[in-house]
Amino acid sequence: MLWIRGNSIAKRLTTMNVLVSGAALLISCAAFVAYDRVSFRQTMVHNLSIQAQIAGSNSVSALFFDDPQTAEGTLSALKAAPNIISAGIYTPEGRPFAVYRRDGAAENIELPPIPSGQIEAHWFKDGQLVVVRTIVFQEKPAGTVFIRSDLQEMSHRLKRYAVIAALVLFASLIAALLVASVFQRAVAEPIVHLATIAGIVSRDKDYSVRATSTGNRDEPDILIQAFNEMLEQIQQREGALQRAQHELEQRVRERTTQLAVTNKELDLRNREVERATQMKSKFLASMSHELRTPLNAIVGFSDLLAEGTPGQLNDKQKRFVNHIKQGSAHLLQLINDILDLSKIEAGQLEMRTEEFLVKEALPEVLSTIHPLAMAKNIRVEQKVESKSLVKADRVRFKQILYNLLSNAVKFTPRGGQIKIECVDDWDFVRVSVTDSGIGIRSEDQKVIFDEFRQVEGSAGGAQEGTGLGLAITKRLVEQQGGRISLESEFGKGSRFTFSLLAVEPTSEGHAVVEPAIASVITASGRLTPLVLVVDDEGPARELLASYLEPEYRVATAESGVEALKKAQQLRPDAITLDVLMPGSNGFETLAALRKNPETANIPVIILSIVDQKQVGFALGATDYLIKPVRKPALLETIRRHVPLPADDDSSILLVDDDPKALELLEETLRAAGYETQGVRSGKRALEVLANKAVGAILLDLLMPGMDGFEVIRHVRQEATLKELPILVMTGKNLTAEEAALLSHETQGLLQKNGSWQQQLIVEVRRVIEGRKLAKSAGQS
Amino acid sequence: MRRSHRSAPSFFHCMLTLVMTWTIVAAPSLHAQKSGPTENEVKSAYLYNFGKFVEWPAKATSVGEFFPICVLGDDTFGSTLETTIARESISGKKVLVKRVPKPQDALSCRILFISSSQQSRLKEILAELDNTSVLTVSDMPEFTRRGGMIQFVVEANKVRFEVNLTSAERTGLTLSSQLLKVAIDVKRSTQPGG
Repeated sequence: MLWIRGNSIAKRLTTMNVLVSGAALLISCAAFVAYDRVSFRQTMVHNLSIQAQIAGSNSVSALFFDDPQTAEGTLSALKAAPNIISAGIYTPEGRPFAVYRRDGAAENIELPPIPSGQIEAHWFKDGQLVVVRTIVFQEKPAGTVFIRSDLQEMSHRLKRYAVIAALVLFASLIAALLVASVFQRAVAEPIVHLATIAGIVSRDKDYSVRATSTGNRDEPDILIQAFNEMLEQIQQREGALQRAQHELEQRVRERTTQLAVTNKELDLRNREVERATQMKSKFLASMSHELRTPLNAIVGFSDLLAEGTPGQLNDKQKRFVNHIKQGSAHLLQLINDILDLSKIEAGQLEMRTEEFLVKEALPEVLSTIHPLAMAKNIRVEQKVESKSLVKADRVRFKQILYNLLSNAVKFTPRGGQIKIECVDDWDFVRVSVTDSGIGIRSEDQKVIFDEFRQVEGSAGGAQEGTGLGLAITKRLVEQQGGRISLESEFGKGSRFTFSLLAVEPTSEGHAVVEPAIASVITASGRLTPLVLVVDDEGPARELLASYLEPEYRVATAESGVEALKKAQQLRPDAITLDVLMPGSNGFETLAALRKNPETANIPVIILSIVDQKQVGFALGATDYLIKPVRKPALLETIRRHVPLPADDDSSILLVDDDPKALELLEETLRAAGYETQGVRSGKRALEVLANKAVGAILLDLLMPGMDGFEVIRHVRQEATLKELPILVMTGKNLTAEEAALLSHETQGLLQKNGSWQQQLIVEVRRVIEGRKLAKSAGQS
Repeated sequence: MRRSHRSAPSFFHCMLTLVMTWTIVAAPSLHAQKSGPTENEVKSAYLYNFGKFVEWPAKATSVGEFFPICVLGDDTFGSTLETTIARESISGKKVLVKRVPKPQDALSCRILFISSSQQSRLKEILAELDNTSVLTVSDMPEFTRRGGMIQFVVEANKVRFEVNLTSAERTGLTLSSQLLKVAIDVKRSTQPGG
């Protein structure tokens, strides 16, 4: 009954009802018809038998007296029975005697035999009933009667039955349907109703609808009650859930509003903080500017007084002046440190990361530290085991090392010792500075790296220092991805250790050559060059002039305009230029100088309180010194940029566009007894080489116009200069190709950062001595 | 002449039986023209058959254990009567054929055939038999009109008979309606002593 399954329960009930009643009716009809058929047959046989008997006995005399007409007359009475097709009377011998036919047609009817022992027999055959009966007269057979009847009556009867059965079936089906509809109302309807409600609930998510109770306490009603209870519970939960959700949403909304308000406040505060920071930076900048201006005068003039330029001082005066000098130097350091720190904190400190050996950078720092240590009779030991390259900003690395070392010197009593160690530590290079100083209390160790924290109550009395050194050092280390730490025992000394990222050594250009024996070369005389000092302040001009005068001739200008005029007229060998001047300021003046081809090549050193080196260099400044400028620094700088004539072939040609570097080189080499000539461009270098013989070239690579590589190419093309030693000194990060080229074409490579003087001397000695040896070997 | 029927008669057997019955026992039938029974044979059989359709009064039935069928006058039947009906019986009584020379001898007969030779003496004969229960049969003309009971008539080569019911009932005989049905004429009026 698969087809029932898909339908609704109402349809199923109806179908079942109809089927059951239909089946019952069909079976009973069939049984009834079967019974009726059997009984009807019997009746028929009985009737026909009686008719045969009557016909037979009425024909007895006719048979005896051989009167077929009479017999036929008798038989013709059978007309009254329309079902009789034919009838016949036979003589005892079986001879046809009389015949009757319904349709009158002639037909010879063969007498069917009667089973022995019976007087009558009947057959149903071909839709006909045949009855044969022996006519018995006075207990003797007098003949046989035969009657054949059709079964039309029976078939009519059956047809009638069929029609009646169909009618009854139809009527009972209708009755069944009616009953089913009643059932449906009683059973199916509540279930269908329930299904509809369930459908509504699941479709609309409406839990407020309820199924209607039938009222009778039957199973569907119980189902409906349970369903309603379930809906009730769901509705309650739904309500609770919605309330909770609503509350939650409300809360979220409130929080969001609060958050927005907080954000706004935060934003405002942030802006305020930003503005405050900017203001702080501005304040610091202008502060330092304002502080430096008077300090400039203090430092400068106390220097002059100490040197006795304006006249000899008595001992007491000298002592006072020295106090002033020391105090102002401290102040200067403090200002510089504060600026550094504020730069770091503002994130304005640029890092130029390069790879270098600690061994290379160390001498430069030590050369600065040695005099300080010597003054306190402190022994400085170094133990460099590291073979890795440090990946850091070289200048900052040296600053870190300098800060630690100067600190160590500061806090180590006379006769103490300082040890510098450097080891590879996996991916880091670890550098430690150990001193035998006063040490730091453990409670102070935590704050030692904080700003303005100086350890109180130190044994050695008042210590110099800004209190910013270690703070700056820590920040510098950490900004380069390193760590700094401190181990110390109070009274026994301290050990500062920092580590920076390391890389494996790759380039052979970093090979460090052992120092050779120095030789002394006599310096030659030179002309007195002219320096034009430009400053709007009279005292400043006077001070600068007094610094320069013994060695240089000095001309002065009060304004930019005057400076341009005098520069054109006098063609000075160098110009010192103040920036902050009324009218045309220093930068404008510089730009004008560089614009004029006649003055374009004059080295211009900016001396200013304003630290705007980038602007200065961009405009073509040769060098940039920040006021207050100390005499040695100024002199060094001027010397570096003012070319000095030389003709000895052991002189060294210095090629560098950076006047500061040039001056430093000259100063260093001269101190070591070499004669030098500095030029500031490759082109100029080639000119010099064309006119005079030199012992070696110390060459910068990055220069405007013709760069170092080009100079090397030109030099190597000249047959006479093929053997000329070239030392390259650069701040450039070399590519592998460049390193290869340089190692092939040049005799040495020096990195240009910080204190490299010692190494420079070593290198120069090596090549000069090497050349001399080669020459003497060639001569002999 | 009961036909025995066997369970599965072959066609040949049936035919044989049919032919045998036809030839041997078809005496009463006039349909058989050539080999059929003679008029005497038919009349003999009818005499016997009349006995079956007539009821005699009780006084007559009690007489003897035979059913006497008598012939008065010239015996036209010869031996035919004996051969046709001699071994038959009616109502449990054996048929006995008797020839009687005078009507007085016929008083114990059930059925009396009166020969045509007795036509002239018929009146006396019938008178003699008055008040007796004897069924009178004859083939003489006018028999029933003259007071006889059953008269043979040959019509279209077929032996038929007429009945004078009044004569028969007067003597206490009851003739079956069956018999009357096959009679060609049934007279009810009488001419006593005619």
